[in-house]
Amino acid sequence: MASNGPKSQSQPSDSTSAPPKSQKTMSKQERRELQEKQRAAKEVAKAQPAKGAKAANKPSQASQDNQSSKKPSKAAEPSTPSLGASASAKSLNATSASTSQHNLTGTEAFGLRIFSHFGAIKHPSGPAKGDIHPAIVRLGRQFAEFAITGANARCIATLTAFQSVIQDYSTPPNTTLSRHLTTHLSHQINHLVGARPMSVSMANAIKHIKVEITNSDIDMPEQNAKDELCHKIDLYIRDRIIVADKVIRTTALRKIQDGDTILTYARSSVVEKVLLYAHSKGREFSVIVVDSRPMLEGKGLLSKLSSAGIRCTYILLPALPSIIDEVNIVFVGAHSMLSNGAVFSRAGTAMVAMMAQERSIPFVVCCETYKYSEGIHLDSFTKNELAPLSVSIPAASSEEVQSEPNLQILNPLYDLTPPTNITAVVTEVGVIPPSSVSSLPFALGRQFI
Amino acid sequence: MSPRLAPPSVVAAQTISESSPIASPPFDIIAAYRRILNDDSISMPVAAILALVELIEFSAAGTTFELVQALTDGAEQLKSRTPNSISLSAGVELFVAFVTLFPHESDSFDDLKAELVSEGRKYAQEAQTYRAKIAEFTFKFIKDNAILTHSYSRVVMHALLHAHKHKRISVYVTEARPRGLGIKTCEALTALGVPCTVVLDSAVAYLMDKVDVVLVGSEAVVESGGLINAVGSYQLAIIAKAHHKPFYALAESYKFHRLFPLSQYDLPTHTPNILSFPRAPASTPPPTPARGLSSTNLGHPPPASASMTSDQLARNPEVDYTRPDLITLVFSDVGILTPSGVSQYLVGMFAG
Repeated sequence: MASNGPKSQSQPSDSTSAPPKSQKTMSKQERRELQEKQRAAKEVAKAQPAKGAKAANKPSQASQDNQSSKKPSKAAEPSTPSLGASASAKSLNATSASTSQHNLTGTEAFGLRIFSHFGAIKHPSGPAKGDIHPAIVRLGRQFAEFAITGANARCIATLTAFQSVIQDYSTPPNTTLSRHLTTHLSHQINHLVGARPMSVSMANAIKHIKVEITNSDIDMPEQNAKDELCHKIDLYIRDRIIVADKVIRTTALRKIQDGDTILTYARSSVVEKVLLYAHSKGREFSVIVVDSRPMLEGKGLLSKLSSAGIRCTYILLPALPSIIDEVNIVFVGAHSMLSNGAVFSRAGTAMVAMMAQERSIPFVVCCETYKYSEGIHLDSFTKNELAPLSVSIPAASSEEVQSEPNLQILNPLYDLTPPTNITAVVTEVGVIPPSSVSSLPFALGRQFI
Repeated sequence: MSPRLAPPSVVAAQTISESSPIASPPFDIIAAYRRILNDDSISMPVAAILALVELIEFSAAGTTFELVQALTDGAEQLKSRTPNSISLSAGVELFVAFVTLFPHESDSFDDLKAELVSEGRKYAQEAQTYRAKIAEFTFKFIKDNAILTHSYSRVVMHALLHAHKHKRISVYVTEARPRGLGIKTCEALTALGVPCTVVLDSAVAYLMDKVDVVLVGSEAVVESGGLINAVGSYQLAIIAKAHHKPFYALAESYKFHRLFPLSQYDLPTHTPNILSFPRAPASTPPPTPARGLSSTNLGHPPPASASMTSDQLARNPEVDYTRPDLITLVFSDVGILTPSGVSQYLVGMFAG
């Protein structure tokens, strides 16, 4: 931020709705008002973002302002609460120029200096570009707000949305479905990716659909072709996700003995199914749900399991060492598995794996084969995703944290568990060691998963 | 898998006539298995395959589904009646997979059965050559040196005798309690002129510095790349690893088993009785002191139980599981594999 200093000093705050006035000449009140306005604008920007490219040449104005007005604002805070509220109310009507500018400065200030390659969190722009299907627009919103999370849930939601896209699609003249539909879908996909980076599960599923589309018969009547594609999507969901989960839970059941204490981290839909199934089959076991900020997904799992009558313990990740000795087996889910046997999963999983391996506790990953990813990552930094601020900071403290100029919020969503720390991967083709993950495509007799 | 192997009329006729396949003269698979196993050169998985082949011969099944059903039933019977069924299951698994995937080209189901029988026999015949093949592979890895082996294993014996023809090897063999099969190995090797010494199972760590290579056989090689073998192999592997000595497992490919034990207690042979504590007052006090004090027993060539009661022995495992990270290489008839290579081979063979 220091490098930006002189540049932004030379630029007066002309883009805001305040009169063009140098900061030094502002009164304390005025500066305070300006700052409040900017914060409110940031809030607006987060809820209703716009394209930020226009303001790219004025990157760190807000943070510069924050820095200069930090001390006075702290002093003024208790005395002028009503002023702050009115200022933010006023600035809701701020021009779109200032909105876009602060959107950018906001993301710049929060955590993208080191990990900028993870990509800023772009929100789907309100009026969708091009011909975006309403189902996709809605889905994009749900992805961006983290209303739908989890590799399986996102994949199923995407595929279901694609079915309505395909059904509502009509081939333009002078082209064929098998050629044009893929480009049409690509626009929809781009919109979704803008909302949240694509999961490996979605990428594999989309690859599959695109192949199906290009393979569809040119001479087939359009409605038949669309019906057939929708049917194939249904089959994909059934074979690769739903049936796979059923096979995984029966396989995993054999690894659960009476009296076991099972540890799981965060929330995986597959692990949830495994545990509920084992309980329904009369296995007597107890579960330790380990959870961690910022998402605290384990709470959902906890309520599901305990309402099913499974004895549960809920702890946060820092308490893991004190409880790990009680554990017989660890089950976790995965975002994707890589061809070197490493597993990409919710941030914190690697730590659990390391600790389990150190105590020789079997660490078992439950993962459908469609989450296989050809690539190899050696660490969690080459590819990851950042949790948006709305997810990572509780609403109450969010304003305070954001006004802190030297504070970056960085919450990677995933981490990489190295194959050495994984005992086994339960897939629908059986229990395999991580070293055999790379032979899965051969085992399935496919070029790709 | 679907009953589409014969013209529909034939299938229909057969299924009707064979509505109760059990009604055919009862074929005792256990007896067949035991009889085949009497041949000393035939190991458990091959014996299981041959027993299943006989079952096919006697079976009245009219469709592949019925046949596979009969096979799995027979296999279940075999498993339930044999005390340690891991090795046997490997053979059964292989054969059932073979039957289900067998291309249905013959005209009638009887032809198919005949074909299956001849293929099964052929495989068993071929399997007899595997040990020589493995011995050949192992030969290149043995120098003029001291070899440690565990218990008695036909494939290891084969490899040692083959090496003895061309190299000056000396062999240490563990006693391998509770069955004491190390004695058998020692006698056989000494008779053929190989210098051999029996060591106590508890003396392995004492000995390990003098050893150049550890060779063990196996009951089954499992999907993790690990190894199931007579109890004591695991500690052998741990000690070998600690001394940086190569630990080689020798296994015919019919011992590859789709099983993934997560720990010692995840083995199918593990029962709640193993490692349990005797129920408090009555059972233990009388026998133990009496037997334990009879130190005169030590002078004798060790019988199956030197000083433990059968009750105490029953609380001990017969086999243990050696983790893949302790194994240097697995020698099999399909090649010399790393433990992860074994698991990839297995995934490729059975999955999909």
